[in-house]
Formats: sequence, structure tokens, C-alpha cells
Amino acid sequence: MKEFISLKVMDRLRSVFETLGCDYRVMRQIVQVKLTMDRRRVPTILQGTARRTSRPESDDKNSFVPSLLLYAFMGLLTVPFVLMTQNYMFQMSVTFGILMFLIMSSMVADFSSVLLDVRDRVIISTKPVNRRTMSFARTIHIMIYLFLLTGSLAGAPLLAALFAHGVVFFLAFLLEIILMDIFILVVTALLYLLILSFFDGERLKDIINYVQIALSIAITVGYQIVGRSFEVIRLHIVFHTAWWQAAVPPFWFGSTFEWLMRGHASPLLILFSTLALTVPIVSFAAYIQLMPAFERKLQKLSSSSARGRMKKRAWSRAISRIICAGNEERAFFRFASVMMAREREFKLKVYPSLGFAMVFPFIFILNSAWSNGLKDLASSRWYLSIYLSALMIPSVVMMLKYSGQYKAAWVYRTAPIQSIAAIFKGTIKAFLIRLFLPIYLVESVVFTAIFGIRVIPDLVVACLSMLLYAVICLQFTRTSLPFSEPFQVVQQSQRYVGLLLLLLIGVFAAIHFVFTLIPFGVYIYMFLFVLLSGAVWGAGVGFRNEKLLVDPASHLYPFRQGE
Amino acid sequence: MNSDNDAVISIRGLKMLYGDKLVLKGINLDVRRGQIIGYIGPNGAGKSTTIKAMLGLATGYMGDIRIFGRNISDGDVEYKRRIGYVPETAEIYDALTAREYLTFIGCLYGMDEVQADRKAQALMRTFDLAAVYDARLASYSKGMRQRVLLISSLLHNPDILFLDEPLSGLDANSVMVVKDILVRLAAQGKTIFYSSHIMDVVEKVSNRIILLDSGQIVADGSFEELQERLNEKSLEEIFNQITGFHEHKDIAEKFVSIVQEV
Repeated sequence: MKEFISLKVMDRLRSVFETLGCDYRVMRQIVQVKLTMDRRRVPTILQGTARRTSRPESDDKNSFVPSLLLYAFMGLLTVPFVLMTQNYMFQMSVTFGILMFLIMSSMVADFSSVLLDVRDRVIISTKPVNRRTMSFARTIHIMIYLFLLTGSLAGAPLLAALFAHGVVFFLAFLLEIILMDIFILVVTALLYLLILSFFDGERLKDIINYVQIALSIAITVGYQIVGRSFEVIRLHIVFHTAWWQAAVPPFWFGSTFEWLMRGHASPLLILFSTLALTVPIVSFAAYIQLMPAFERKLQKLSSSSARGRMKKRAWSRAISRIICAGNEERAFFRFASVMMAREREFKLKVYPSLGFAMVFPFIFILNSAWSNGLKDLASSRWYLSIYLSALMIPSVVMMLKYSGQYKAAWVYRTAPIQSIAAIFKGTIKAFLIRLFLPIYLVESVVFTAIFGIRVIPDLVVACLSMLLYAVICLQFTRTSLPFSEPFQVVQQSQRYVGLLLLLLIGVFAAIHFVFTLIPFGVYIYMFLFVLLSGAVWGAGVGFRNEKLLVDPASHLYPFRQGE
Repeated sequence: MNSDNDAVISIRGLKMLYGDKLVLKGINLDVRRGQIIGYIGPNGAGKSTTIKAMLGLATGYMGDIRIFGRNISDGDVEYKRRIGYVPETAEIYDALTAREYLTFIGCLYGMDEVQADRKAQALMRTFDLAAVYDARLASYSKGMRQRVLLISSLLHNPDILFLDEPLSGLDANSVMVVKDILVRLAAQGKTIFYSSHIMDVVEKVSNRIILLDSGQIVADGSFEELQERLNEKSLEEIFNQITGFHEHKDIAEKFVSIVQEV
């Protein structure tokens, strides 16, 4: 195991820990093991980029340090706000808002598994380790994590503060960041406690999953706007303090700067600053009191209320009856719908792209509105940017073959499945109906609001071409059955195919554009598409790949060795 | 009450509430050195709760648990140094390699790191796992993990062993080895708590059988004694008779008849 710098720093305080009644040698061992395990996890922030191609056993090559670098980069987002000089209250509140969001969601996304590790009970508590040593180990571990995370995020803004506003500002900033960390730690723990009091562990894992998804989206969006964010320096901000801001913690931290550095001693600012100081300290005291209750509640994590509810699936049954032909296709439609809705690992990988699909067209429209003015927008052809929401289709369709529980795919082979086409048809329809169409519908409503009723035929045509596009994507990326491969396997060749497919949607959009130049062209295009789609779906073109079921070269080994 | 003095484990009036349900309804038990106790009972009878209470994992029980003559509720965890444990759920930090995991566990029991490593490696070798000593536990098969768990429970040469389904996932040959290990350990004076649902193994391995049903001890004695008292041939039959389970034929019949409706 590696010797960590943090452990060496801790060694200097050995006598302090020992006087506090902690078995230092054992505590160090526990922290060391925990840090080793942390390094071998892929953090959420790197989920999208980290291709785990290196063999897992090979070494201690970790993704933790790269993730810190990415956090440092995200920290740049706050620098322009720190550098502003006109309104400390506003700029520091925004800074703290960004920092709090990133730290808290990272904490929930990546550190939950650490905070909530139920294995500790069975593995460590059965050994002669006294409770004090264990809670010290846990606290130290959390502190190291928070320190590294906050350090990388806040490094750049702290430096910016030091150079732009001087030492006093810097020290106040530092102190408030520490208070903020305490506050975040306590709030996270209390949040878990609250959730666990009402729900079981499964529900908590679902909530953590959604936070992870939100973080992935925020990171990607943040990545896009880091460069742009410096434009805010030029903006003139008018900002008023108000009572409601007491409910939003970042304002507490922001207020201190306005009060102490600017000398604006308004009662509200003083109140907020007092909150910034007292709430973390008081809540920390409460946290220590509640710690035993928390440990007790943790036991609930491993248990789940086994009695599930039979959900009414009447309407889903009705849909599957209408759009699916045959029992096999219907069965796979329902199976795929449930897998997409429930499997956390799948959701973590796929839902962020759905989020971007929602946002991308609007980013384009905003850009154009920014440069050309709102007036011309409504009469323009910018509605074609809805094609950008199809960008997620290839990646999601490619993802359909992965699952955290890929080994369970042996059922495909042992069951007498008549037609492999039914498997793919059912799955792709489930994707289109459950994930794609709801998003497209929302987009269409907004687009109609922006561009007027005239674009409805165009939206219908775009929708038809995206449905066809999804089938084409499936045809090119279908190398194994749905949900039958581990997520780690990312084939190199597939990525080039993915790029080509991205170009294809551009072609679709271009053809659409040409038809819009012809009077009633949209209707002609629509008519052609209805014919084409009917032919493709009806004839089942592209759904023939029977050999996937029997071919030993396919990736369908139910009991694959290792990973 | 002279048995109290040489009793390794002594439990008096152990009761336990889970929610508003009494899961243990007053357990009294004395265990001496060298006994292999087959600790059996239907699901939910309270077997693992008893073991957890003895390991200090379950708090809030009523009654007395004395291990090595000392009440364990005083908060001193030192007695755990002489206990080895294989959990039923086979929990393990699988991001670690066997070397890292076993040395870590050894250290938790107060062993020296180098010594723990050397001993773990030697034990791994006897189980034919030397080649994967530095591979991550995540890549291990079920049987390999189970052997690592067994090693981790014995590394520090404990006096009491709590084994919960210790043979799960092991092949027939490994099962023979482990059974023989248990017999030898008991002959050296170690006490083994063997909890399992596989009656044939319990019957052969243990020299005392304790049957738990809905939070109470309903039978306690050697296999031969129980055989004689209840006039049944196998432990399985004894189990069925005492827990009052007679409808297995009816249930099976019903099940098969449903299978036949297509």
C-alpha cells in the first residue's frame, strides 16, 4: 500500500491523538486502507472521460489526482467573481454558491459510499478496535477528503483574492471557506439522517444517484462556460439585500465581505455575517450529538423494505400493445423500460446526455439571440437547432448494450428466443418512448412558444427523422445484445462510428433546410419520411443479426472471467 | 455453578427487541473450550442476532453476555482480540488485494505488519492462492473470497471462532480441508460456533448442536443425544420435527401442480 503524504503529516500529531485516547497505529492503518480504496474508485467528475482501459490490478494508477485537477479547473469559474470590485455582497455570494454546490454534490456523489460504508461494521467493528479510534479514523478520512477537494477548488479563487484584494480579504475568505466546509459536512450528514429516518437504503441510493447525475451535468456545463464567465467582469450589477436571502447560505458568507471590507454596516448584513459564523459551529455541535443516531440509522442502509408495491402498469401495457408486435417484442419493451428507469449505473451514464440534449438547442438559440437580437429570432430558421437534441441518440443507443449486471444476460441464451429482431425493436422503442419522446415533447412546446405555430410541421418532420436516425444508429453500433456488456468495455472502433453518426444528423438537418426553401416543401418532406419510416420499421430492415444469439464470438458469455 | 469458571462463553437471559418484536426471548448458554457448536435454526430464528450481540455489533440487548469470564457490555473491546469471525454476507473490501486486506486485518488484531503479511502469505499458499496474493479481491471467485475470509478469521490465532456459512462457494475438496481444519482447531482447545443451513455438514462437524427457534433455544445436546431423544435418523429430520414443520409434502405438491398449469 502507498504511503500517503497526508498520513505523514498526521504522524506529526501522533502524540495528540494518543492523549485523546486513540490507538494511533490502528487508526493510521484504517485511514491508509480507506485512502487506498478511494484512489481505486473512479470519481463521478471523471465518469464521462475515464476509460478504464488499464487492467484493474496493474497498479495504483488512480483517478483521484486527475479529478482534483479537474476540480481546480472548475474553481476558475469563481475567479472572475472574486476579481470584481463593485459589489462584494453579490460577487462573494455567487462565489460561495458555486463552491458550495460543487463541494456538496461531490461529497454526496463520491463520498457517500465512504460515509455510508456498511462493510465497516462487519469488518472493523468485529475486531478489537475501540469506538473512539474508529470515529477518529472516520473523521480524519473525511477531513483529508474535504481538504483536498476544497483545496483544489478554492485554490485559484483564494490566490485571486490575495492579489486583487489583499491579505485581510484573503484571510477572511479562507476562514469562511473552512466554516463553509463544516457547514456542508453537517448538512450532508443531517440530510442522510433525515432521509434514512423516513425511507430505506434503496431510496437513499436513488437520491445519491440523482445528485451524481446533476453533478455530471453541472460539470459539463461548467466546462463550457468557464471561458465565457470572465465576461461578467464587464457587467454592471445592481444588487439589493433582502430578508429572504437569510434562507440561502451563500449570502451569509458573502455578506461578511460587504460588511467588513466595505464598511456597509446594515442590520441585514450584520445578521447574515453572524449566521455565517454561528450556524456552522452550532450545527457541528448538533452533529456530534446526533452521531450515534446516525450510526444506528446506517444499519438501515443494508436492509430494504422487502415488500415492494405492485405498480399499476395499465397505461404502459396499453402502449406496448399498440406499438409492439408480438409477445417477445412487448416483453423486451417492458424489460428495457424498467432497466432504463431503475439501473443506477445506467442512469448515471445516460441521463446526463439527456440533460445536454435538452439544453444544447437553447444554448444555440441564445447565442444567436445574443448576436442578432430577439426581434429577428422568431422569423428565422433557428428552430432547426432542434436537431441538436438528436446528438444524444448515438451515445445513448450505444449505451443500451451496457449494464452493471451484464452477467444476468445469460437468460438471453438459455431462453428460446425466436427472433433477435424483437429484442432490439423492443429495446429501441422503449428508449424512444420512455426517454427520447418526453424530452422532445418538452422542447417542441418551448420551440412553438418561441417560433410560433408555423414550426409545428417542421418539428414533426424533425421528430420523424430522429426516429429513423435512432434506427440507423442502432444498426451501426449493434455489436451485442442490450444490457449484456460491462460498462468498462468501450470499443475504440465504436467511437469513430459515433463520430460519423454525428455527421449524419447534420445531413438530415441540411436536407430539411433545403426543403424549407421550397413552398410547402416541409409537407413533401414529411410525406417522403412517412413512407421511408414505414418501410424501415415495417420490414424490420436492420434488425437481422441472429448470430448474436449463438455465435460464440459475440460478447454474450454469461460467465465471463473477471472483468 | 462451577461450569461458569471454565465456560468460554456464558450467556444469561439474553433478550433483544427489534422494533417492537422480541427476536431473542431469553437465551441461556454455556460453552466450554474445544466445543464445536452447530448453531442452527430456521431463517429469522435469531442466530445471527446472537452472534452479533457476542461480537458487540448489536447494542441494546438485555441480559448478560460473558466471554472469557468478562461481561462484554463494559465497552472494553479487548476480548475481540481472541475472536475470529466469518460473516454470512462475506463482506470484504474488494478494492484491496489479498495482501493488503489480510495485513490490514492482522494489524487490527494487533499483529505486526510484517508478521501478518508473512503468515497470510503462508496460509494463502496452503490454499493454493499464492499466485493471486497481489490481485484485487474484486477479481476473485466466490470460493476464493471465502478462503480469504477464513484466513482473515484465523490469522491472529483466536480462541473462539464464529463461522456463518463458512463453506459457501467452496468445492468438495476444499470443504474436506476446512472441515478437517475445524476438527484440529477444536482439538487444540479452540471453541467454534458453526452456523449453517446445511444440516449434513453440521451433523458431521459439530459435537454439540444448539437449535434456535423464534428466539429460544429449543434443543441442546450432541447429535447422538438428539437422535435418541427424538427418535429421528438425520439432523434434517430432527430440525423438521422440533421446528414443527410437517407440511413440506403439501407445499411441494402444491408447487408442482402450479408448475404444471401452463
